[in-house]
Formats: sequence, C-alpha cells, structure tokens
Amino acid sequence: MELLNNLGINGKLLLAQIINFVILLAVLYKFAYGPVLKMLNDRTKKIEKGLKDAEEAKKKLIEMEKKEKNVLHQARLEAKDIIEKAEAVSVKDAERIIAEAKDQSEKMLDQAKRQIEKEKEKILAEAKSEIANLVMVATEKIIGEKLDENKDRELINSVIK
Amino acid sequence: MEISLTPETITTIAGFPITNTLLMTLVISAIIIIASLVLRKRLSLIPKGFQNIFEYVVEAFLNLIDGVTQDRKQTKKFFPLVMTIFLFVILSNWIELWPGLGTIGVNQIRGGRVALVPFIRSNSADLNVTLAIALISVFATQFMGIAAIGAVRYSKKFFVNPFHKPYFIGTFVGILELISEIAKIISFSFRLFGNIFAGEVLLIVMLNLVPYFVPLPFLFLELFVGFIQALVFAMLTLVFLKMATVEAGH
Repeated sequence: MELLNNLGINGKLLLAQIINFVILLAVLYKFAYGPVLKMLNDRTKKIEKGLKDAEEAKKKLIEMEKKEKNVLHQARLEAKDIIEKAEAVSVKDAERIIAEAKDQSEKMLDQAKRQIEKEKEKILAEAKSEIANLVMVATEKIIGEKLDENKDRELINSVIK
Repeated sequence: MEISLTPETITTIAGFPITNTLLMTLVISAIIIIASLVLRKRLSLIPKGFQNIFEYVVEAFLNLIDGVTQDRKQTKKFFPLVMTIFLFVILSNWIELWPGLGTIGVNQIRGGRVALVPFIRSNSADLNVTLAIALISVFATQFMGIAAIGAVRYSKKFFVNPFHKPYFIGTFVGILELISEIAKIISFSFRLFGNIFAGEVLLIVMLNLVPYFVPLPFLFLELFVGFIQALVFAMLTLVFLKMATVEAGH
C-alpha cells in the first residue's frame, strides 16, 4: 500500500478515471464510431453502385450507338432502294410518255396527210369540172353551136384525162 | 521548480481529491465529447473539413486492425476500444506540449513551504490514468476472449491438466500465462507513465534551463513520443485482443 501511495495511486481517482474512460468509450461509440462507420459503409455502397451504374450506362451507350449505327445503315439502304425504284419508275414513265407522244404525233400526222390528200382530190375534181365547164363554154362560143351536152362532156373529159 | 512523481492535488471536494491530471482528463473528455457531438451533427455523405480528418484516421485504423485480425467482423468488434484508447492517450500525451506546462497554477503550502501546483500536467504522467486504461484493456481482453471462444475453452489457456500431455510443463506454462496477464497491466501502465512523465520532466527542465529555442527540438521529440506511445498502447491492446480470441493450441 505504501508503494502504491508513493506512486500516487489512489482508489478514488483510479475509479474516477476508469468511469471516465468508459463514458468516453460509450459516447464515442454512440456519436462518433457508429455513425462514421455507417457513413463509410454507406459511402462505399453508394460509390460501388455509382460505378456499377456508370458501367451499365456506358454499356448501354455503346449498345445504343451500335443500334443507332444499325438503324442509320438500314435507313440509308432503304433510301437508296427507294431512290433506285423511283428512278426506275420514272424512266419507265418517261419512256411510256415518249412512246405515247410519238404514237399520237404519228397518228395526227397520218390524219393530216389523209385530209390533205382528200382536199387535194376534191380540189382537183372541182378544178377538173370547172375546166370542163370553161372549155365547154369556150368551144361553144368558138363553134357557135352547141354540141350535144353529154357528148361534149365526154369529149372534154377524155381530152383532159 | 519542483518535480513530483504523483499528480498534485489542487483542491479537495467532499473528500475527493481534485488533482491536476483529473482536471486534464475532464478537459480532454469534454473536448472529445464535444467534437464527437459536432461530428455527429455535421455528418454528411460528402465529407468536409473535420469529418475528413476523422474519417481518414478511422479508415487508417480500420485497415491497421484488419491487418491484425484478418476479419472485418472482428475488426468492428475491436475497433471502438482500440480507437478510443488511441485518441484518449494521444490527446493526454500531447497535453505536455501545451504552453503553461508546470508554470501556471496555484501556490499551496505543502510540507511547511510554498509550492506551485500547476494546472497542466499530462494525464499520462499519472499512474491512476495509465493504470485505469491498462485495467480496461486487460479486462476487455479477457472479456473478448471469453465471448469469442467460451469461458471453458478460454480458461484452458491458464489451467492445464497436469496429467495429460505435456504434463507439468503445460501447467507451468499456464501459470506463466496467468502471471503475464498481470504483468500486462503493469507494463502497460508503467510504459506510458514512464515515457510521458520523463518527457514532461525533460521539458520542464529544459524550459527552466534555457527558455528560448532550445526546448523546441524536445517539443518535437515529445510530439513524436506521444504519438508512438499512444500507437503502442492501442496496438498492444489490439494484439492482446486478437491473441485472446484465438484458442490455445496444444
């Protein structure tokens, strides 16, 4: 006991120090370690989740890019197809239209030709009859007398021909 | 200049001696409690300022304990005690670095003459404090050991049947183990007490001999010693805890 006394060890103080330390431990456990450990845990989880999410997002993005590329490619192909088809159709149409126009114009030309022929014949016939009449009148005047009209006409006609 | 091995009593309240180290213990406890309350209030998922520092220390300790236990669950069990010992001891040790060490105090008549009773005296330079922590550490060790492997199996470490292999040698080793548990208390308390008390004496002597500049290197030395002693106390506790939870092999 003398030794303990000399070293300053005092039962009351020792007990006070032990109680103090236990209180400190309890307070730190309740207010510092628990919450901080929980916080550290939460953060770790959150960061892990964030990293995972980021990874997933990246994967998704790559996938989307791939899809986009695919869609674009498809669209381009389709557009090309449509254009080609349209070209083909238009070429066909043009050919058809040209052919029709040619046909029509030929028809019209034909008709015109025929009409001209007809007109020509008609005019010729009219001219012939006119000439015959004129000749008749002239011969009548020259001869002074009238031949048999029918006979005369025959004669003239044969001459004209 | 008067150097006393025992902490000086400032005053006595209802037969309870208020020593300067008890005062310091209360101050440190108040600081730690206020800091932890503030920390609790300001705790956020995105750390800032003080929380950063505390989290850094906590992480460092968790990793250190993990290195010894190799088991996260056990780490969480040991962590509060080890961390608290470290925090309390390091703050206690660093009290001696405060200006006013051994100079600010009240004059008292002791043994017929006037002596200065300083307010500031490192906790760790009081055997009551170091013994208290040592007792807690050693008792916690026994408690953890029993909790981990059961009272019967834990007691087998100390009480070995002399009629089985390795006979009396085993029994003898068991008794040695028992003594070593008591020796732990003594070595824990006297190591810390000795280091910090010596540091304090060194600083007081230096301050009295050459007040300017010369004590500076010693202040740095004591800063380092204070940290090392706190770490040693915490680490030894940790190692003893780990050893207690492992069943004695035969």
